Amino acid sequence: MLEVSRPKELIEAFTNDKATAAITALPLYKQQASKPQFNEFLNIISFIETTLGTDWRTGLGKLTGAGITLAVCPEDTVLLIIDAEDDQMLERFHEFFFNIARSEAEKKGKYNIVASKEYDGVTAWTFDGKEAHTIIGKRLVLSNRPEGLKAVLQRRSQAKNESLAANATYQAAKRTVGPDAIANAFVNLKPLIGLPQVAQLFEQQHENPLAALAFAGIFEAARNSNWLALGLHIEDSTLSFRASVDGKTATQTSSAAFALPKKPDEGALPNLTVPRQIAALSLYRDLHQFYAAKDDLFPERTSGLIFFENMMGIFFSGRDLTEEVLAETEPEIRLVMAEQQYDPAIGTTQIKLPAFAVILRLDHPEQFNEVAEEAWQKALGLINFTRGQQALQGLIIDRYVHAGTKYSMAYFSTSGIDSKNNLELRFNIRPALAMPGEYLILSSTDGLARDLINSLNQEMEHKVKPLAGSNSLVEIGTAQLTSILKANRDTLVRGDMVKKGRTQEEAEAGIDMLITVVRLVDRAKLSLGTHEGLTRGRLEIKLNLQ
Amino acid sequence: MAGQTEKPPDPRWAWAAYEPDADRPWNLARAGHLYRRAAFGANWDQLQQALADGPQRTIDMLLQPQGDIAGFNRTYDEYEAATGSVDQLRAWWLRRMIQTPHPLQEKMTLFWHSHFATNAEKVKNARLMQQHVRLLRSQALGSFQVLLEGISQDLAVLIWLGAEASRKAQPNENLARALMETFTLGPDHCTEDDIRDASRAFTGWFVLRNKLRYISREHDENEKQILGRKGNFARDDVTRIILEQPATSRRLVRKLYRWLISETGQPGEALISPLAESFGTDYDVQKLVETMLRSNLFFSAAAYRRRIKSPAEFAIGIVEALEETVSTTQLANDLANLGQNLYNPPTVKGWAGGQHWINSTAIVARQNLASALLRGSGPYGNKLNPWAVAQRHGCATPEDARRFLLDLFLQGSIDPDVYDALPKTARRQDDDLGGRARYLAQAIVTFPEFHLA
Repeated sequence: MLEVSRPKELIEAFTNDKATAAITALPLYKQQASKPQFNEFLNIISFIETTLGTDWRTGLGKLTGAGITLAVCPEDTVLLIIDAEDDQMLERFHEFFFNIARSEAEKKGKYNIVASKEYDGVTAWTFDGKEAHTIIGKRLVLSNRPEGLKAVLQRRSQAKNESLAANATYQAAKRTVGPDAIANAFVNLKPLIGLPQVAQLFEQQHENPLAALAFAGIFEAARNSNWLALGLHIEDSTLSFRASVDGKTATQTSSAAFALPKKPDEGALPNLTVPRQIAALSLYRDLHQFYAAKDDLFPERTSGLIFFENMMGIFFSGRDLTEEVLAETEPEIRLVMAEQQYDPAIGTTQIKLPAFAVILRLDHPEQFNEVAEEAWQKALGLINFTRGQQALQGLIIDRYVHAGTKYSMAYFSTSGIDSKNNLELRFNIRPALAMPGEYLILSSTDGLARDLINSLNQEMEHKVKPLAGSNSLVEIGTAQLTSILKANRDTLVRGDMVKKGRTQEEAEAGIDMLITVVRLVDRAKLSLGTHEGLTRGRLEIKLNLQ
Repeated sequence: MAGQTEKPPDPRWAWAAYEPDADRPWNLARAGHLYRRAAFGANWDQLQQALADGPQRTIDMLLQPQGDIAGFNRTYDEYEAATGSVDQLRAWWLRRMIQTPHPLQEKMTLFWHSHFATNAEKVKNARLMQQHVRLLRSQALGSFQVLLEGISQDLAVLIWLGAEASRKAQPNENLARALMETFTLGPDHCTEDDIRDASRAFTGWFVLRNKLRYISREHDENEKQILGRKGNFARDDVTRIILEQPATSRRLVRKLYRWLISETGQPGEALISPLAESFGTDYDVQKLVETMLRSNLFFSAAAYRRRIKSPAEFAIGIVEALEETVSTTQLANDLANLGQNLYNPPTVKGWAGGQHWINSTAIVARQNLASALLRGSGPYGNKLNPWAVAQRHGCATPEDARRFLLDLFLQGSIDPDVYDALPKTARRQDDDLGGRARYLAQAIVTFPEFHLA
């Protein structure tokens, strides 16, 4: 069920001057506005405004201002209830569409499809023979099936006060996402989890270790839950979605316990920030506990991981991956993605990939540093040997010091290449390993590794505190995302042409539209964690309506 | 023109230019036949233009199309150069086949791609594969001599054949064997001694860091005997000697006969000889193709619907007819599933073609592809819209559309009982005219006739 308790605020957020200016500046809007059908649509709006005696924004506010409720019920029945502020305006609105429906039906010779019927003191209408609706006072009730409307009217006539709105569970769910939400959704999870498609989604984690690592805690909480509540808040130009389920989070004995902070003051660390950052992810995941539970978490893949474990055994000189490697890592894991800067002297690639890095906190950095360095050099050696077998250029390994931290990096040399403006994709990768303090940075580029060393040094000076109860935090800054999309525009256009069979003009319009839409979002932040034993999520989207 | 058993034709008549007459009129069936062989199919405007222009003028336009062909190819070469993967190259080539103003060039490029089969999976370098296909395209209707010389130095070919290194002490026979046995003469017209001595002529050539290098101290300077010739031969001499052999031109003419004229039965020596002799003097591919396309034999029952369409011809034929471009990334994958993975011919002999394209599994897979293309949703979206095309060309009723789509896809009369069996009603109760046209189009392209070029 979806309830919009303050529609006017929602309307205002998306139709105020700033939002209108942003939408009308979109290339897609301009494209649609140039079509004759758009002018017809505007004429209809104008006619409705005349009928209602007010502009469309005010009219929409008055027609919906007291609330909108949408419910999906069994047997594919959908109910829509709109509470108007002005019953006369509602009547005029209804009559407008009644006249249109009747006129259209007469044109097609189908006179009977627009009909009305009295039922228990109210008049029910249908405009197409399929939907059914009625107006009771200031309330419009509409259903996609006559049986749906009948059921509502029967409940009303039985004068029972058993409504979902009054239900204690619903009220409790609503409170968990903030009582002042503009809109709320309530989902009964039990029937949903029984659906084959949803069950299949839950099963995916059993086949995919990465899915299990990312989502095991969420899946377990959802599986144990009766309901999911969602709330929408709007403050300035920030949309905030809050979600909550009633299922208990993983206990310390369950296989998903690796994603559960052990102590109340533990949790994911705040994200790191670096120049040209696109996205950052912070997780609380005990990798040792995660991999130790692999037979429960992703049983379908464990036999396939034997090769991986053997390779890790080679890189880590016979150490057991679970007990002697992953056990050396702390649960705070962070990932960063940033736009690369290219040195013209070295060269610029044709396709510009972002740089990405994973940052781990180590339990015994003094002992483990050399273990990590050795594994890293073995991996590079293997890459070079394999490439050499195919007569391909290998990586050159080097070591530097930055801000007091020695780091290793590897790169493909560009000396001997005449044109350094359109280098191959592989030149985006200049892998680096750095270990400042108790942290280990594994980065796809040395530039990002240096930026992260700076960021971690600053963080270590100020003793950062974890976000208590939080196990996942994602932040995306779209300014850099827009920048990287623009840098790769030609590549994206060409890809679109062959993927969708579009002309170059169509593909360019599509990619430009994507860039424009991305630019509409300033930043987004998603956090997941626990609060009072319940799993909570929060998504904040700050719009950029400049 | 139903297929029928015919006695061997007189070569003079066979290769003389076709002139329409009362017995063999220039009609939609022959126009469609021409476009199926010299292109990947045709849309309605092209068929109507062909009917208006007549056969010889239409062939003129297919051989030398108007428009900036070089510019078009340059643009697509740039698109391809910007990709880094063979998957993208496959998609761009299919798009080129659909959109090119010179479809005969692409059809012949595809022919040479199977002839000089080179598999990207072993080459492992998209850049080299792109250069290889560019070479094929540059001489697709050019000089076979230039093409063969290019192939003998083509890095992708050398890597694919495992001929990256050929030393004086250990000559690598792979290139020489492929050149003589597969690409030109055939195994019956060269001996092991010929191959061995030819490989000695190729010594000193190495593929090093994706470049072709000649190291003179590794070249065998001693006398060789190749196909009856004696001398201190080097690389270019081998190709020259091969081209001097009548067997080379005969073999290529037979291959092109199968590609352009008929896959059923072997043409007699008397039929092939005039073309082989002419081709052997200058190895001018366009001249040979032109002779075949203009000929009485080409427009006779001996050639009509005597080839089985490859998966690419089957699919692009549908796309071309409906005047659109579809996702070629998806199409490349679907064609690979049908056995024609572009840039990845299965063996050094390329794709066998003919009846090898068709078995019970392949027929079902073709039907599924046709369904996916014409469904109006899914990976190909609603790009192909038979009803919209029918309307564009004057159809107003479902019956008009039935006749139009039959002529568009099959260009020939079909038996009345087959026509009657075509779907008249919708597949589903709520299908609109568009839905019915899609259903009808799907039915037509799954007729056996549509699988025949």
